[in-house]
Amino acid sequence: MKRIKQYIDQANLSRFRTYFQILAFVVIVYGGYLGINIGDKTPAFACPYSPGSSGTCYLVAVQHGLHLEWSSLFGFRGLALLTGLGTFVLFFVVFNKAWCGFVCPFGTLQDWITKLRKFFGFRFSRYDEASFKKLKIIKYVFLVLLILIPLAMSNSFFGLPKVSDDMSAPFCQICPGRTIAPLLVGDTSEIFVDFTNKTTMVMSVLGLIFTALFFVGSFFKKRFFCFFCPMSALQYMFSKVGVLRLTKNGDNCTRCGNCSRVCDMGIASIADDIVSTNAVVDDCMMCFKCVEACPEPDCLDVKVFKGNIFSSTSEGFFKRYGESELADQSKK
Amino acid sequence: MTMINDLDRFERVKKSGSIHYAMEAKKCIADIKDEVHSQLSSMEYFYDIMENIIHEPESSDTEEKVIASMCIHVPVELIYAAGARPVRVCGGAYATDQVGADFLPAKTCPMVKSTAGALYLGLLPGRVKPKLVVNPSSCDQKKKLGEVVSGFDDEFYLLELPPNKDTEESREYWHRVVKRFAKKLESVTGKRITRRNLKKAIKLVSTAQGRYRHFHKLRSQAPVIFGKDAILITNAFFFDDLARWTEKLDELNREMELRIEKKKHVVHENAPRILLTGSPAIFPNLKLPILIEKMGGLVACEEYCSSSRMLTDSIAVDEWFLYDMIPAIADRYLKPSTCPNFSPNEDRIRKILSMIKEFNIDGVVYQSFTGCQLYDMESITVGKAMDEINMPTLYLESDYNPDDSGQLITRVEAFLESVKNK
Repeated sequence: MKRIKQYIDQANLSRFRTYFQILAFVVIVYGGYLGINIGDKTPAFACPYSPGSSGTCYLVAVQHGLHLEWSSLFGFRGLALLTGLGTFVLFFVVFNKAWCGFVCPFGTLQDWITKLRKFFGFRFSRYDEASFKKLKIIKYVFLVLLILIPLAMSNSFFGLPKVSDDMSAPFCQICPGRTIAPLLVGDTSEIFVDFTNKTTMVMSVLGLIFTALFFVGSFFKKRFFCFFCPMSALQYMFSKVGVLRLTKNGDNCTRCGNCSRVCDMGIASIADDIVSTNAVVDDCMMCFKCVEACPEPDCLDVKVFKGNIFSSTSEGFFKRYGESELADQSKK
Repeated sequence: MTMINDLDRFERVKKSGSIHYAMEAKKCIADIKDEVHSQLSSMEYFYDIMENIIHEPESSDTEEKVIASMCIHVPVELIYAAGARPVRVCGGAYATDQVGADFLPAKTCPMVKSTAGALYLGLLPGRVKPKLVVNPSSCDQKKKLGEVVSGFDDEFYLLELPPNKDTEESREYWHRVVKRFAKKLESVTGKRITRRNLKKAIKLVSTAQGRYRHFHKLRSQAPVIFGKDAILITNAFFFDDLARWTEKLDELNREMELRIEKKKHVVHENAPRILLTGSPAIFPNLKLPILIEKMGGLVACEEYCSSSRMLTDSIAVDEWFLYDMIPAIADRYLKPSTCPNFSPNEDRIRKILSMIKEFNIDGVVYQSFTGCQLYDMESITVGKAMDEINMPTLYLESDYNPDDSGQLITRVEAFLESVKNK
């Protein structure tokens, strides 16, 4: 048992993740053709606008489900919403935010764009601390809006007129997933400007702009879109009860910053915070690159409930970062 | 006329300096091998190169370019990548300390005086002639040294270390300083730092660090080596060929593993386990560790910049391109450092506390060189932290003068007694 743990601790988890992501990408983006159905509570971007999708992003269900009048919201349909949320949470807590790092096809797509950038040898950019703090709020704004707008379509807030039904599923209208997911199965029908009226025009143009930003942004910034993803914000509310966890033992930390400098999301607190045990913050996607980059024994641990399944070790660190070219040196 | 006299005097001083330095080296090794002795056969290599630290090399490689560094904050990976060899020239010899005292203020710390003296006389480890001497602004005395000794043959380069390591501003500043340093190295050596040779350099140093970490871990498992030997090994890292050093350390690690298996310990189980911290022990000034171990203690580990602080932290690169490797190198020399130059320096206290736990320490000996403001100041915060966990701590002020040994013996002896009786 101890030897198995040692083997895992010294493994190249990132490589495993790359393969896992390919598998998950195929299952979610093309699984529909194979008759796979993972339901409409998926805690990742499985986009129903694509005919090949094997599941449906839970945000779609939230937006449609909330298109309700107050009376029914507090009735049986409200109850149905709650059971829906319950199903989503059950799905989510098993893998926690690893849904983003290992499963979400749009996360994977961005990682591939990063690989493309590396192929060309362009440097990546990072937000400075102040922008990081400001920009991270955007995903919560998206989340609040995608809850409030459907409600405002069926109800009047403070005597204001109801929002037009053209705003139905507002986030989907601007989500780059809606345009890109069909593209992945060769369907270009989502690339359009809807000239029906002003609202549809604005929303469909925004959708196209965000699609362009998705490609350009993620070319220069790792996981560019994840930083603004309302799914990430929704998930984080339930992250604390996650089965899969990432914990930190601050006593073992030297604050060398290796973890934060390899972090695709650019999270600084993983290195600087030596008090919190739970290392998962809202932007974390649980890719566990930080654990791989930590040379301090047992400083960062990946846990299932309370059992360690992957820990930082100095042996593992030097195997991954240090000694691959040792053979050359001894020849010299 | 005066010129000739000056030259004459210089030659005389250099000759007597080198003789005294060589004697000190010899005496230090003899003291280490005295009475209590690790008796590890793999240590012979290190005894040998340290004893001959300033011997003229038999065949000098004229092609070899050397960059001298004065501190752990000089990124050696860049130096290797630029086709040169880094040699840390921090001095530990009393002979050169006296020479440095001739042209430096009386209250200068002995390490700076010794380094300056050695640079002046050209008595550097392996008798190297550096193309550039890099002095980081890690303390005021080192910082100003470059100006004071500007008349020397060597070119000095000030590496601007920020006084704080936690803020984004200082990190950015340091990144730029390191980038500029890389450019400077390229112009001095005439060799470009490329993606390939920098990656190779990082791996070379990282391998050495990995082996040192293993060595560190073995020391924590059982008392199979004396601390004085461990300090000697890290002092050899200052100037030895890195691949060879790594190989020799590997041999030693294997010998230590065997000893751990056979339970062949160098001291009794109840020998007080001491942690050394403060101003570093630099060869041949190892009088403190030698003394502690002669009196029946064991230097279980050191939080010195001539030892663990220099070697435990390592680089993680995300994308193996120059644009990520150079910042990664810069980060490694800034963020985990526990140098008292930084304020605040909570990390040093946390490091000491974690070492106390890991190495099961019974007492802490804090050395501060006469004239070393930074370590002196920090003895207060470290002392407070030690009081909080009821850790017996001995504060010592000393320099390179061998005359204070009588007083040191009395204090160390009393301290070890009190630790034993605790």
